[in-house]
Amino acid sequence: MSVVSVAKRDFLDVRRAKLVWAPVALYVVFMLLFYWGQSNSSNPDFYAVMFSLATVGGVLLVPLVALVAAYLSIAGERESGSIRYQLSLPVSRTDVVLGKLLARTGVVAAALLAAFAIGIVAAWILVPEMTVEYGDYTAFVGLTLLYASAYVAVAVAISAATSSRSRAMSSAIGFFFVFNIVWNFLPVGPTYMAEFVFEELGIGYADEHLQFIFSLSPTGAYLNGLGLAFPETAFGGQVAAGVDPFYVQDWFMLVILAGWVVVPLALGIWQFRRADLG
Amino acid sequence: MPAIETTALTKRYGEDILAVDGLDLTVEEGEIFGFLGPNGAGKSTTINMLLDFVRPSEGRATVLGYDAQDETGAIRERIGVLPEGATLYERLTAREHVEWVADTKRSTTDVDAILDRVGILEDADRAAGGFSKGMRQRLGLGMALVGDPDLLILDEPSSGLDPNGIQDMRQLLREEAESGTTVFFSSHILSEVEAVCDRVGIMNQGRLVALDSIATLRDEATGEATIEVELASPADPESLAVDSIDGVRGATVEDGAVTAVCETPGVKVDVVRHLDQRATVTDILSSDTSLEELFNQYTGETDALPGDEVGTPDDARDREPEVIA
Repeated sequence: MSVVSVAKRDFLDVRRAKLVWAPVALYVVFMLLFYWGQSNSSNPDFYAVMFSLATVGGVLLVPLVALVAAYLSIAGERESGSIRYQLSLPVSRTDVVLGKLLARTGVVAAALLAAFAIGIVAAWILVPEMTVEYGDYTAFVGLTLLYASAYVAVAVAISAATSSRSRAMSSAIGFFFVFNIVWNFLPVGPTYMAEFVFEELGIGYADEHLQFIFSLSPTGAYLNGLGLAFPETAFGGQVAAGVDPFYVQDWFMLVILAGWVVVPLALGIWQFRRADLG
Repeated sequence: MPAIETTALTKRYGEDILAVDGLDLTVEEGEIFGFLGPNGAGKSTTINMLLDFVRPSEGRATVLGYDAQDETGAIRERIGVLPEGATLYERLTAREHVEWVADTKRSTTDVDAILDRVGILEDADRAAGGFSKGMRQRLGLGMALVGDPDLLILDEPSSGLDPNGIQDMRQLLREEAESGTTVFFSSHILSEVEAVCDRVGIMNQGRLVALDSIATLRDEATGEATIEVELASPADPESLAVDSIDGVRGATVEDGAVTAVCETPGVKVDVVRHLDQRATVTDILSSDTSLEELFNQYTGETDALPGDEVGTPDDARDREPEVIA
């Protein structure tokens, strides 16, 4: 399989790149800090650690890990010209994009899994009296890996669609800013805009409509999907299960995240296939 | 079936830039074909179109009988490529590079034998990031040889190689050709290819301006000849009046040396006789149309060959640590 040959070579290459490991180290440092924080608490709570990992880790660090690991995957090779060695071999351009996705997702997943494993060891050592919720932790790790994969796919797609390092970098930063910071956290985000427009036009809307708009970004979907890993009581709120429309339910967040893998990639492949690699 | 055939192949960038202009070129199976021209003549763009890195604006190309745009998979399984100025994977070793190519081509190549052939076996387990330009070029050539391709497409294979390396490369190309491989390679330095090519095509400004064997091209080029005559003592250009000789296109007199460009080689004798009557001739230096001049004639260059970077400080530094095996 050509995709596998691309992925194998790329994996071999990228795992030796120090830059890729720096954000992962940062992630581990934060994780250790969270556990250390609980060790100073009189009533250590595992969900508090998971919550910190989901917010600080999920909003800032996971995207950073994924974007740094993948934004140069193709644009970097185009700029250096090594893509011409790659494409002189019997592989198609689609194979290259998919192979890159495979390798970079593999690197990010391996790094995050290692970090999560370190986290458990840290829990045992730093806060031995705390109960580790292994089942929920596993669900949380799974959700985070899917979220990371969405960011890797976006970064690979950006990389496939841009011709130079600088453009890939500015596009990756732009994506992070628009679809993370602006979309989910600034009061100019689409949720607020929709609310404003609905009010102005006098259109009736429900809270779940706004929730859905919030969930359309990878980070929004991830945050709204956390119910899969946290017991309902963890957020202190009462969720009336079953009455919500499907598009704001936890499982649908997985669909949205999967969409963030597929759609950007399709666009990236389409753009890469028609590009002149001169 | 020709190894390479292009029909009215054209590549336009934007409105104004015509990189390749209606190229009709046929490279026969089994020959060594030198694709010549100054930098920017359209050689690399042509090669990039053959490899489907760049899509033609008009016209079409076939490689080994397959359409260069629609049947890239079949082509890439049968060719070996040395791309121009392409960077290797800095963090991978030479051996890993060759293994990767063999793996992708599903070929059971003896990796050591390949590395040995291109003279970098001793450095097989070093990361390519630490390689000199010459070693990178050798490794690239080795990667192109994996899987015994039917056609080698080499873009400026001699760039970065020292004379020794160029010698090795020529030898290698001859061996490949003898085993039935078609070799298509580009260069901007004519003297590097004349020794090895069956035929050459010369590109200039996107067009093919000459296509033949070197010997034929040499015959066809107008037989301009230059003679340099040294005199015993500095002479007054006016009194020598070399320009007045029939068939002399131009002459310069500098101190005691007279250089005359003649329309035909026979005029050189007249120049010597003419000077002998007016001064004491101490030495004669005669040259026919050099390959370089021939090349310049076709490409309209008057200066030294363009883009000939050999010998720039940068290059010398690059090459310094090279180990010639």
